[in-house]
Amino acid sequence: MNHLLFMTLYAAMLGVFFAALWRRDARAQFKLFAQIFGSLMLGAIALGWLLYFLPTGPPAPIP
Amino acid sequence: MTEAARARLPWKTFLLCALAWLVPASGHLLLGRRGRALVFALLVATAIAVGYALDGNLHRVVEGQPLSRLATLGAMGMGLPYFLLRWGLGYAGSAAAAGYEYGTVFLLSAGLMNLLLVLDVWDISTGRKE
Repeated sequence: MNHLLFMTLYAAMLGVFFAALWRRDARAQFKLFAQIFGSLMLGAIALGWLLYFLPTGPPAPIP
Repeated sequence: MTEAARARLPWKTFLLCALAWLVPASGHLLLGRRGRALVFALLVATAIAVGYALDGNLHRVVEGQPLSRLATLGAMGMGLPYFLLRWGLGYAGSAAAAGYEYGTVFLLSAGLMNLLLVLDVWDISTGRKE
């Protein structure tokens, strides 16, 4: 399973959704899309690297 | 409730919102926002399809877990597809699937997106938004 693919798809979907919902002008829509998409992608990658430094524990139980 | 107060209630708006909840993006379509309706319909449908394909959890109430009620309400936000998946197809998701967590997020997001669309339909219908 490609984690990056699903993360990118999710970020793109939310970006398009809120750009279409909250903005009317095409330029403003693109700007908001870029902000949301960029924030989600960069935020997830940054958080992933921060978690890398935490000690690992036992695997979580399957509910 | 008085007759005057009842007369002021926007029944058409309530009906439109109910329809917008049942069938994602139908509210925008009925309000003449065809382009955006198409985009929203594709987004919600894609989220549901991906969540389903990944065997994500379609939230339901679990006794002793109060937050499951909130999650269920959120997932039910997708309207008719929730009931079709749950009772029509008997879908429940599989915790053992590799994409379970991702799928759960996609399914829940589909419900939450549609709830935001219902609020948008309300705003457009009552003239608070273009």
